[in-house]
This record gives sequence, structure tokens and C-alpha cells, in this order.
Amino acid sequence: MISGTGGFLHVALRIVTAVALGALLGWFAGHVWLGVCGALGLYLAWNLWHLRELHFWLQHRSVADPPDAAGLWGEVVAQVVRLHRRKRFHKERLTRLFRELRRSTAAMPDGVVMLDPQGEIIWFNRKAGEMLDLSRRADLGLRIDNLVRHPDFVQYLRRGDHSSPVIVRVDGAQEKHLAFQLISYGEDQRLLMLRDVTREVRLEQMRKDFVANASHELRSPLTVVAGYLENFGTDPALAELAGPIAEMRRQTDRMTRIIEDLLELSRFEAADGPIKGAPVDVPAMVSMLRKDVLARPTHPARVEVSIESGDNLVGDEAMIQSAFFNLVDNAAKYTPADGAVFIRWWTDEDGGHFSVRDTGPGIPSEHLPRLTERFYRVDPGRSRETGGSGLGLAIVKHALYRHGGTLSIDSVDGGGSTFTCHFPALRLWRRTPLS
Amino acid sequence: MSGAHTARPMETADLSHHISRRFNEDLERVRGKVLVMGGLVEQQLANALSALIEGDSKLGVAVARGDLEVNGMEVAIDEECQRILATRAPAAGDLRLIVAIIKTITDLERIGDEGEKIGYIASRLAAMERPADQYREIKHLGRIVSEMLHEALNAFARMDSEAALRVARQDRVVDEEYEAIHRQCITFMMEDPRSIRRVLDVMWVVRALERIGDHAKNICEYVIYMVHGKDVRHTKLEDVERDLRVGP
Repeated sequence: MISGTGGFLHVALRIVTAVALGALLGWFAGHVWLGVCGALGLYLAWNLWHLRELHFWLQHRSVADPPDAAGLWGEVVAQVVRLHRRKRFHKERLTRLFRELRRSTAAMPDGVVMLDPQGEIIWFNRKAGEMLDLSRRADLGLRIDNLVRHPDFVQYLRRGDHSSPVIVRVDGAQEKHLAFQLISYGEDQRLLMLRDVTREVRLEQMRKDFVANASHELRSPLTVVAGYLENFGTDPALAELAGPIAEMRRQTDRMTRIIEDLLELSRFEAADGPIKGAPVDVPAMVSMLRKDVLARPTHPARVEVSIESGDNLVGDEAMIQSAFFNLVDNAAKYTPADGAVFIRWWTDEDGGHFSVRDTGPGIPSEHLPRLTERFYRVDPGRSRETGGSGLGLAIVKHALYRHGGTLSIDSVDGGGSTFTCHFPALRLWRRTPLS
Repeated sequence: MSGAHTARPMETADLSHHISRRFNEDLERVRGKVLVMGGLVEQQLANALSALIEGDSKLGVAVARGDLEVNGMEVAIDEECQRILATRAPAAGDLRLIVAIIKTITDLERIGDEGEKIGYIASRLAAMERPADQYREIKHLGRIVSEMLHEALNAFARMDSEAALRVARQDRVVDEEYEAIHRQCITFMMEDPRSIRRVLDVMWVVRALERIGDHAKNICEYVIYMVHGKDVRHTKLEDVERDLRVGP
């Protein structure tokens, strides 16, 4: 600022001096105005020449040296040079950073595709190019769903919710399974991450097949053993073995139950994704559950059912029945004979809810997160006694999952437990239209 | 260049750009729909083949039913093309795009029909005795044909006439493969007349696959037409190639 004002003062002084000199010369020659005009003209020519120099240099900045100039022109040139240097420095730093970023994403083991709001490809890394057979030359700017056309993927892209990945089977030279996940960032930009999950999918399939086949194969020999034991139990010649035989029968019964549950669980798992199904009359089903509890050899004294809604659920009847029965059966099993079980079905704006509350011993809170795992036992000794398979809650959880529902467990150690199934409102089939 | 000098022409340019952008969006949308339909048809074919090879009658029935959706999409795209033709009166490249789309969806719909046929036969064959070779030949032909369809649709998406030409050339391999399986089937029937019923069904599948190859080739020809404005139907591929090299 100071140098700027100084520069201007300098220029003003120079003009005044030039005009005075011109006027003096003109006065000697007898034409004062001619002298003044001549001096101003010369000054203008000098300025124009510098302007031309500056313009030429700005146009050929990369090859030409900056022009030498005195006074204000020199300062302008120096300022431009400084600005230019600073810009180049920033540009180089950004380019370097960008290159590093690109190199690091290119080295990532997962595929990455950058998409614009319309779903057009802005950039992708090498892995994504390999997995989707994209070419850098031709495919930038094309819409991703024009090239990855699998109907499941197209549907996923159009859906609003991208929180969980979609797994797509690709049939090429060999079968592949790719998991796609869309991540939003910035204003409207989206990042598509893809991972080859062929191994995981195969292992999962193998596990499911193994459980289903093993349970199936175990069932037939067990039926034979159970049949013989039943005969032995009524055979008077084996009277002194009655105790052991009765125990063996109890154990084979338990084994049969475990196998039945395993088969049921693998049947629920067999198909993926939510099921469509038909309306299921939940109120009727719930009212029948009371009879199931009372039919047990030992059961709590009080079993109360409250049906607060006539709405039905859209889904698979066998699965819903199995889930509800398992919950009620559990409650009856763990509640002492003088206790009570409360069964409730109600609906609200969130959806449908089915809850089973008991006055049993309750579950210590550290067990709650793992309760729905297969064969997880809160008290190993106690639950074998009651003859559970250890699969009941896993079945409940899976049946609910297939209906888009969730299971919540509230329990106070020593103060009873409440198991509640929540079904989304979309699954409700209103019996009476809301006014 | 200062803003004041260019303000006026920019405004008018923006307006015309806007009109053509709406038009472009229309074209882009209908093109996207064709590829969604293509993806569905590809999936139908893949499912039909795995229903046959794995003997999954349920999947076969599902494929046969799924063809309704393909037909619905053909009608919808057709209507949209007619609307664009009527309201926008496209010219040159845009017109070629619309014409190519109308033709492409017809072929895609036919491929869908062939897929439906395979699915239906697969559900019937699932109940019968499986051949000793586990449909190895069909698997092979099926893979070539699926790949052809996939690449043809990629060429359509990328407007890549060279790739289209490459795919069209594949059709010859399919024809040779078809001939070979045909002869093999005849041998089977002569060796064991009891297998005639089953082998006839298998021949229907092979025939359907060969037809799908032809339809994929047609799609490639539309891509070449769309890009170069040259009708290359009923022309030898070598001549097409030479024309495209010489031409623009």
C-alpha cells in the first residue's frame, strides 16, 4: 500500500515534471501548448510500449522472461510474477496430493467407482475395472446401470436405502458373487464399493447344506433307535432295566427335537430375502397358543392372553406360528408353577407387536446380546434339564428376519422377562379400514 | 475475455442448450430403459440355463412366468419411442438411435421368448432322467451365447461399433456349435430310441440358443447402424468391416 502510494506519487511527479519541461521548451519556441502536448504524447507512447511488453509477456509467459521496466510498470510485473509463482506452487501441491490419493485407491483390494448424481461413472480404480470389465477409454461418463445390468443391482441403485450391500451373482467363465455397496458423500456424489464375496457365499452355502444334510441323515437312524426303545419300555422281561430305558427314551426324544429344530432352521434359511406369503390370522393363532401352554405336563398357573387388534400379518403362516410357539414355550418352561405368563398382540403406527411376558427368574443382562445364538445356554445344567434344543430363539430371530421384523428382549435378573416381536407396518393386513 | 462481452450470446446459448438437454434426457432415459430390459433378459437366460443344468424345475417355471415382465417393458419402451418421434421429430443421429432402439427391443423380446421356452422345457426335463454328459455341450453353447448377448448389450451401451462387429463374428461359432450338437443328438436317438423324447426337448433348447445368438447378432447390426448410419443387414461381415475401415 505504502509502495503503491509511493509509486503513484512518483508517477504524478514524473508527469508534472514532463509537462513542465514541455511547457518550458514550448515557451522558448513560442508555442507553450504544443510543448505540453508533445510531452504528454511522449509519455503516452512510453506507457503504451510498456503495456505492449506486458501483454506480450503475459501471452507467452511460459517461454518469455518478464520485461524490464521502471517505476509502476516494474512493480506491476513483479506482482504478477509473485502471483503466478504462488498459483503454480498450489497447483503442484494439489496435483501431487491428487496423484497420491488416486494411487492409494488404485492399490485398494476392493473395487471403487465414483458416480455423479445421475449415476454416470466419473472414475474407477483398477480393481473395479477388472471386476466389472470396464474400460477407462470408453466407459467414463457412461451410466453404471447401463453396464452392470443385473436386475437386483438396478433395483438396489434405484432404492433409497443403501445401508446394506446387495450381492449379485455374475455368470462368466466362472460363477462369481460380487457385493455392491453405495456410499453417499459430498453434495450428491456417490461411491460404489464392490467386493468379490464368492468364497464367503460358497462357504455359507456349504454350511447350510451340511447342516440340512447332516440333520436329515441323522433322523432315520434315530427313528429306528427310538422305535426299539419304545418296545423295550413295555417289555416285562426288561423290567429291571426300566430306569435306564426311560432315560434313553428321554434322550432320544431330545435328540429328535434338536434335529427337528435344525431342519426347521435350515428350511427358514434356504431361501434369501423377504417372503411374500399371504395374510395370516394372527388373533386366531394367538388365542390357540394358550391351549398349547396348558397342554404341557407342567405349566404356570396363570396364562393370560390379550388380543388388542384384529389385524392380520402378511407372511408365512408356519414360520410365524413357529416363532410365536417357541417364545410361549420358552416362557412356560422357565416360569414356576405358581407364576404367570402374559401373551399380548397389538398394533400401532409402527406396525404389529407380539409380546410374551413371564414371571420367571429373568436373564442376567450380560447374556442378552448372545441369547439368539445357536446352542447358547444361559445356565447349561438347567436348560438340559428342561429339554430345550438350544435353537428356539435362533428360529424366532430368523423367522422375524425373513418378515422384516425384529426381536427385543427386556429382562430383569430375578424379575421376569419380556420377549417382543415387532413387525413393520407394511406387513399388516388391516381387517377394518381405518376411518 | 470479460463477462460483459459474452453475456448476451451465453444467455441464448443456454436456452437452446436447455431445450436440447431435456431432449437428451428423454433419449438417455429410453436408452437406459432398453439396457434395463437387456439386463432382465440376460438374467432370464442365465436362470433358464441354470434351471436346465441343475434340474431345478421351480426355477424353470419362474423363468417362464418372468417373460411377462419382459413383454411389458417392450410395450412401455415402444410407446415412449413413439412419443419421442411424435413430439420431438428427431433427426440424424437421434433418429437413428430411436429406430435402433425400436428394433433392438423387438429382438430382446424374442430372446425373452426363447428364454421362456428354455425355462419351460427345463422344468419338464427336470423330472426325466439326466443325460450322462450332464448337458456339457449345452453348457458350453449357453456360455458362448450368454457372452454374446452380454457383449452385444455392452456395445449398445458404449456405442462401440468395433465391439459390435467382433460379437457379430461370434455368431459363426454358435452356428458351428449348433451343427455339432445337432449331429450328436441324432446319434443319441439312433443309438437309443427310448431317449428320443428327451433328446427332442434338448434339441429345442439348442435351437433356442442358436436363435438367441442370431438375435444378439441383429442387435450388433443395429449398433453399427446407429453409429455409422450404415445398414449392414444381409451383408457379409468382411465387406462390412472393409466399409467401416474406409468410411468415416
